[in-house]
Amino acid sequence: MTLALVLAATLAVACVVAVALPFLQEPEPESDDLVELDEAEMRRLELFEARDRALAALKELEFDHRTGTVSDEDYREQVGPLRREAAAALQALGEVGEGSPIDGRN
Amino acid sequence: MARNASPARLVIALSVAAVLAVFLLYTSIAGGGNPSVSPSELAGRTGAVQLAGVVVGPVTGDAHAGGLRFKLRDIAAKSTTAVAVRYSGSIPDLFKVGRHIVVNGQLERGTFVAQPNSLITKCPSKYAPKKSTSSA
Amino acid sequence: MPELGRAALLVTLGLSLYALVAGAYAAYHGRRRLARSAQNALVASFVSTAVAALVLLSALLRNDFSFAYVARTTSVALPTPYTISAFWGGQEGSLLLWLLILTGFGAAAVSLNRRWARDLIVWVVPVFAAVATFFSFLVVAVASPFVTQPAPPDGAGMTPSLQNPYMLAHPPLLYLGYVGLTVPFAFAMGALLSGRLDERWLIATRRWTLFAWAALGVGQLLGSHWAYVEVGWGGYYAWDPVENAALMPWLAATAFLHSVMIQEKRGMLKIWNVLLVILAFSLALFGTFLTRSGVVNSIHSFTESSIGPWFLGFIALTVAVSLVVVLRRVPLLRSPTKLESPISREAAFLYNNLLLLALCLAILWGVVYPMLSEAVRGESVVLGRSYYDFFLRAFGLPLLLLMGIGPLIAWRRASLRSLATTFRWPTIVALATGALLLWRGAGSSVPGLVAYTFSAFVITTIVMEFARGTRARKALGATSWFGAFTSLIGRNRRRYGGYVVHAAVVLFAIGVAGSSAFDSVAEAKLVRGESMHIGNYTLVYRSLSEHAGANATEIRATLGVRRGDHDLGTLQAGKNAYTIEQQVSNEVGIRSDKLTGEDLFVIAEQIDPNGTVYFRVFVKPLVNLIWLAGLVFLLGSVITLWPDRREQRRLVARASAVGLPATR
Repeated sequence: MTLALVLAATLAVACVVAVALPFLQEPEPESDDLVELDEAEMRRLELFEARDRALAALKELEFDHRTGTVSDEDYREQVGPLRREAAAALQALGEVGEGSPIDGRN
Repeated sequence: MARNASPARLVIALSVAAVLAVFLLYTSIAGGGNPSVSPSELAGRTGAVQLAGVVVGPVTGDAHAGGLRFKLRDIAAKSTTAVAVRYSGSIPDLFKVGRHIVVNGQLERGTFVAQPNSLITKCPSKYAPKKSTSSA
Repeated sequence: MPELGRAALLVTLGLSLYALVAGAYAAYHGRRRLARSAQNALVASFVSTAVAALVLLSALLRNDFSFAYVARTTSVALPTPYTISAFWGGQEGSLLLWLLILTGFGAAAVSLNRRWARDLIVWVVPVFAAVATFFSFLVVAVASPFVTQPAPPDGAGMTPSLQNPYMLAHPPLLYLGYVGLTVPFAFAMGALLSGRLDERWLIATRRWTLFAWAALGVGQLLGSHWAYVEVGWGGYYAWDPVENAALMPWLAATAFLHSVMIQEKRGMLKIWNVLLVILAFSLALFGTFLTRSGVVNSIHSFTESSIGPWFLGFIALTVAVSLVVVLRRVPLLRSPTKLESPISREAAFLYNNLLLLALCLAILWGVVYPMLSEAVRGESVVLGRSYYDFFLRAFGLPLLLLMGIGPLIAWRRASLRSLATTFRWPTIVALATGALLLWRGAGSSVPGLVAYTFSAFVITTIVMEFARGTRARKALGATSWFGAFTSLIGRNRRRYGGYVVHAAVVLFAIGVAGSSAFDSVAEAKLVRGESMHIGNYTLVYRSLSEHAGANATEIRATLGVRRGDHDLGTLQAGKNAYTIEQQVSNEVGIRSDKLTGEDLFVIAEQIDPNGTVYFRVFVKPLVNLIWLAGLVFLLGSVITLWPDRREQRRLVARASAVGLPATR
């Protein structure tokens, strides 16, 4: 019975410490604000996602064409708009802020 | 070719209509299911029902020759009505006196004549209640 | 020691409550240290739950019958593996397992993602904590595993039918599935609450969802196999509410898994996706509720207990709150991309969503109908097998075909011309197969024939996809055909792993069609020496034997099996009479034909004292394809779950470009 109580007390204390840890480690921090992405960064994230989506779609079209799922005609029809979409996404990124060199070899 | 409304709306509308049509088709062909009753509610009912209750002995007869005979009473022990049942067909493993079972059939001249092979037993309670509570 | 268990669970409850309140406050006001504190609380709650779990496990292994739970679910004679499985065999223990997995998954999911998705995680923590609070409240106040009593000399033991390897694996796998669905739900809610509706919540939860879905699928198959060989009525699925309880969230999760691909590629169907994940999670909770409350007349009725109303209340609260949150964020969920054509791969995914949802809801309707009709008309009406079979065919067959059509349709807009080309070979093979089968007598069941024909279509599509892809990779410079094949799969794990899973579904469909649409049954009462016929088989009842086993008397009838001129050996079927538990179980005899996948299934229904046996025999064509499908499903799931370094690198590059910490 006593062993159980001791273990239970130890557990409780350990958990309280774990919960209080952030406050114990930084009793007086410079800023307690949550670091979040601001508007500009969210916008850039969305642009990156749009870029990756366009590049992935292009890659998939190429693959489907190579395997024969998409015919030559359909490929010619679709590749133009997709390339324009990808270019637009890349351009939008260039406008908004510097991005890291884009890894074309996805 | 100008498209004013997105075809997505059309697609979804047609699909929902198709699903509803399937439902209507089913209910018109097959009708509803069987009402589920307990032995105390059985008196006077005609038509096929699903009877749910507790097996009361003695259990006599042969399910594959002439029919197994036993009585079924309500699960909630309040009522003492027991209905005589005659059943032919497969008997599940867990069937025995005191077990909850469910069987389809209809009342004929005081005996519940079961549809063959429609007897289902309920697995013994894995999650036993701490106190028995009446169902909601 | 039960005091330690009770204390540990109380600690869990306290930590969960703290994580919920503090986490929500920290998220709303953007307080960093408090948010971190809430996260720590979630992780700590796993530790305290683990302590409680260890207490229960040790009590089980020590046969400590002062624990009422241990006394109720085990006995001294019970073999150790089953003693361990008694952990989840009863109400209280299974809730504790739920809580353990929940806190474990929560701690892991949050810890792995807390750096790169910080603004998302801060809202995910309170959602997880809310679910944990509910379950810890149940095990603390309503259904505690640590109730004590004066220890009886021996426990009540475990039902014999539960003492087999399937029952060791089936419930934990299902729980991994049910609880696993909490992860995408919590992240979806976190994304909605924080307004961070970019792809991060999808990326973070993709493998969790796949894992939960695969666990749920395999768990159900194991349960079906158990029903087939152990319960032995000749079938593997009875559309029992408890079976449906696991199927419904699986269907919703299947729809979700597919639908998120569209969001990922085209940015569409965002509203669908959040609704589907809420549905999947709610159905998982509902499934957990159904297996306990005894509300529905079910073959698995786990008797009425007091936790039913709590569950219903929590499910209602979850659904209500989730829907309110979704409604408020609808403007953020609208996508600029529109569906361009009803004949496109996007549209095919949309039809897929609709069909899966329709099937799921039809099953849900069937499950709740007795309760609804009782509430409305005062009399509970039960919908039988024919209801479910109808809708399985009505929605399942088109779904089957759609699996084959999807890969053949182009994105955005498919011209009829291109369809004619891509559809050509699959259609030819399907029609030829259909005609051949019709000639061979498969017309006896129209749905069965249709299932076979559609399956042929899908298999052709899958084979062609693999063939074309391999050829393309070979042309790109792979060294060998095998190298091309493996690099194809390696570079497109999700796509080709998905095709393998589709192949599993096709095998499953063929197995189900064969064994349910084209099966045969025969019954006969035989004395020794007599024989009976079924299909091409002749069975001769040779002898009856009785044997005293470890805990049961085993009675077996031996039959000789012949097919045409071939002697196929013997088969045994009979019953076990368990002495302590006072129960008799059917032990069926199954002969599986390795070449055709067909089963000869013999039940010794009734054994008379004079040795006359009433036999019920089935021939189930192709039924073993179902179990094979389970293995293929597992393989496909593993392929899709396998980590992809290339994809990882790309995501890391993207994250750092935006200014998020690269490491998760």
